[in-house]
Amino acid sequence: MSADAPARVEAAAPSASAAAGAPASAPARRWLAEAAAVFAKDWLAELRSRHALHTLLLFAVTTLITVSVALGPLGVSSSERLAVLPALLWVILLFAAAAGLPRAFVHEEETHTATALRLAATPSAVFAGKVAYSASLLFAVELLLVPLYVAVMQLPVPALADLLLALVAGGFGLALASTLLAAIAAQAQGRAALFPILAFPILLPLLLLAIELTRGAVGGAVGDGVVANLVLYDATMAVAGLMLFPLVWNP
Amino acid sequence: MALKPLSLAWRWALWVWIALAIAGAFFYAPLAKDFIGQSSRILFFHVPMAWASFVAFLAAGVWSVVYLWKRQPDHDRAAAAAVELGLVFAVLATLTGAMWAKVMWHAWWNWDPRQMSIVIALAFYGAYLVLRGGVEDPEARARLCAVYAVIGLVVAPYLYFVMPRQAEFSLHPQPVVNAAAKVEMNSRMLQVLITSSLGFTVFFFWVHGLRRRLLRLADRRAEGSVTA
Repeated sequence: MSADAPARVEAAAPSASAAAGAPASAPARRWLAEAAAVFAKDWLAELRSRHALHTLLLFAVTTLITVSVALGPLGVSSSERLAVLPALLWVILLFAAAAGLPRAFVHEEETHTATALRLAATPSAVFAGKVAYSASLLFAVELLLVPLYVAVMQLPVPALADLLLALVAGGFGLALASTLLAAIAAQAQGRAALFPILAFPILLPLLLLAIELTRGAVGGAVGDGVVANLVLYDATMAVAGLMLFPLVWNP
Repeated sequence: MALKPLSLAWRWALWVWIALAIAGAFFYAPLAKDFIGQSSRILFFHVPMAWASFVAFLAAGVWSVVYLWKRQPDHDRAAAAAVELGLVFAVLATLTGAMWAKVMWHAWWNWDPRQMSIVIALAFYGAYLVLRGGVEDPEARARLCAVYAVIGLVVAPYLYFVMPRQAEFSLHPQPVVNAAAKVEMNSRMLQVLITSSLGFTVFFFWVHGLRRRLLRLADRRAEGSVTA
């Protein structure tokens, strides 16, 4: 409640900047500033401990080593490579995300900073900031992991744009859904175990689409509407998250 | 309690209605072409079960929206009861589907798009019940579960109707209303199927009312034990 109060005060008083013809209204700019502050705060805290980044990276690299040792560059027969390797890449990314992303909220609850954050920012701005943080964390991991995976598995990438699209849209969808569900799981008992149970059914359609698009990028066939469905999934999750997160966040 | 004779009457009517649907499935509807033996008759039970589970999950989502709006514990109980029953119907639909697949496809399970969808739905609403068990505070539990069910409201239509229809290859018989939006079914079969689906839907709402009352009584007893 009190988080809305400053915004309401500002909205009630017609600001001078609106009269001067500023492109964005004051509440919108304020909202953006709050989201950016949450994003910056999370990265600052992250760079002090580097806990999530290290968890995600080491988890991804360990899994990659396991997959690589078990399969090797020649472990999968050439006819099955297109079916197996994109799926394994996304399984690695999914498990790395599940290991690192729930921390975004579990950390706030554990250090009892959630209440302060509730007072300091509008709920939807907290959501946007956390999504931006989770997405950028995932992109950083993808940036390191995917070239390594492509090299180790000797995977040719004829359609690089499709691969990038799959990684960006898939990573963004992962971040969106994980942020909403991590906020739910953080308020329950058995947070760490609950998150994958809650998240996997929702992430499954996203993963299947991302795997198919990745398969297309490495030379396989892509069905109609995969890109559209992937973007639609992200858009749906963004709208659902912005609408539902305030209900999760405010007790 | 003034409605008692009437409420008793519709229950008997439902009993007769479902008996008619069962009789119709075995004696009135013809067998579908190209199906092994009598296996097509499972359609009149399998499809209504899947339909009832969809209605249940949809109802759970609607009650969750109402809960988030009004914050009445009764709507939360209604959503929880609907998810429980929806899961029962979904498990039954999965089992009858697997039986039929064993006869027609010679395999209980082969990850047909529809089998995939129902498994995701089962995992999702199973997770809903795990979440219910994971939150102590009744208000927080109701709020978090309602949000989760609303996410389901977004995902469920996609799982039941979009994903199976857009799959390139499926062995599952064409849904009654298929991608071409055409009803391709013998009219007698369609009559029995609609009768059965209606019967299952009303049956769901009846059992749901009972379960909802049971949950309310359990909550009241818990409150009573706290104050006593």
